[in-house]
Amino acid sequence: MYVYCTSQLIQYRTSGAATLLISIDPELRRPIYVQIMDEVRRGRVLGTLKPGDPLPSVRQLAAELGVNPNTVRQAYRELEREGAVYVRRGEGTYASDQPVDTSERRRLLIAVAERALRDAHRHGAGPDELLEAIRDAARLTEPEKPE
Amino acid sequence: MNPLPTRLSGDTFAVRTSGLRKAFRKTVALRGIDLTVPEGAVYVLVGPNGAGKTTTLGILLDLVRADDGSAEALGFDSRSHGPDLRARVGYLPEAHNWENGWMNVRSLFSYHGRYFPTWDVEYQRRLEKRLEIETGRPYGKLSKGQSRRVQLVLALAHRPPLLILDEPTDGLDPLVRETTLSVLAEHMAECPATLLISTHLVHESERLADHIGVLRDGEIRAQLPTGDLHRLLRRYRAEVPEGWAGAPSLNGSVLRRSVGGREIQWTIWGEERVVRDALREAGAAVREVYSLSLEEAAVSMLSPEETTDVDH
Repeated sequence: MYVYCTSQLIQYRTSGAATLLISIDPELRRPIYVQIMDEVRRGRVLGTLKPGDPLPSVRQLAAELGVNPNTVRQAYRELEREGAVYVRRGEGTYASDQPVDTSERRRLLIAVAERALRDAHRHGAGPDELLEAIRDAARLTEPEKPE
Repeated sequence: MNPLPTRLSGDTFAVRTSGLRKAFRKTVALRGIDLTVPEGAVYVLVGPNGAGKTTTLGILLDLVRADDGSAEALGFDSRSHGPDLRARVGYLPEAHNWENGWMNVRSLFSYHGRYFPTWDVEYQRRLEKRLEIETGRPYGKLSKGQSRRVQLVLALAHRPPLLILDEPTDGLDPLVRETTLSVLAEHMAECPATLLISTHLVHESERLADHIGVLRDGEIRAQLPTGDLHRLLRRYRAEVPEGWAGAPSLNGSVLRRSVGGREIQWTIWGEERVVRDALREAGAAVREVYSLSLEEAAVSMLSPEETTDVDH
């Protein structure tokens, strides 16, 4: 079907500046929509994305990242399904009003652990050895803390 | 044996060719191309220079005549309805087209726009700004990168339902390349369109692509959604015993093999669970499995075919 589009119909900025900074790994070993979902989840857990905060519009984020808009839509759809965001039709997508529970934080950390485990496995080490190494490494490097 | 799928399922295609053949004198360019681009897809046609990409697009737009086979886009047959088809397609040719080179860019746009009832002047101006186009200069005097951007505006500003872009980022500096990808993403978000992009630089369109076609020596080696590729084409690193005999049950599914000491790294097509089982049964201990980037996948798919298992 031939659909005629006019750019005038579309406002460039959605109301309310988006607060979330989303970046994706250029290597793209993980699907982009999963990366976008992770960034939103991380924003919620870290508190940079507060309940009710607007997410960038599909168009904004697609243009910003240079990714297929359908990929952004897919990420938002799945986030909506898991309750992390909600959609107000014709307005935009917002971070859920539900506070982030501890299980969400735990899920994120498990994903981090899984990546580390895979890497350890590649070097012939198991979980116990990895744990020990993490404790050693933590003693040597004190992570920076914001004020 | 080629384990990769070469046909897409579905029935709403914006582009469909069947059995395209073409030879230039004695050089065979196309050996029966069945290319299908689903409506609304971003389809990236990948292949080395000389694989037949530009010829295929040329036949689609009826700029080149096929020896055999047929092509259609948006429901129009290329041969019998070339003008109807071209009126609905935004085409970015690979070669620089210096026609009307004496016009300044602004005049070129308004001249070109008059051929398209849907030309969107507002959008044209926005694109000029985004792409930093020098509209006052004669088109024929522009640098390669500048003229490429002008051609992109010519292709986009009439909001065609189908965009055919031949090497769109070729000759652009990295910053403009990023802007171009961003413009294309925004274009798609504003208005549904099908994109057919041909390129030998896969990683540049990786973030946009949802389908990929791999062309080599005038043949489609693979044609599939990028999601399937991500899921089913993986690289396996495994430890193998001394004098390992290989995994016969995987014959025909291995695209690339490299061996270092007692470690193998194979690129294999198939469900991960099935492949892992096959490797385990053959005595290999899988250490790591990962998905490939589109670029890595394309390289694997373009590499010469594995014939039989010849491990010693």
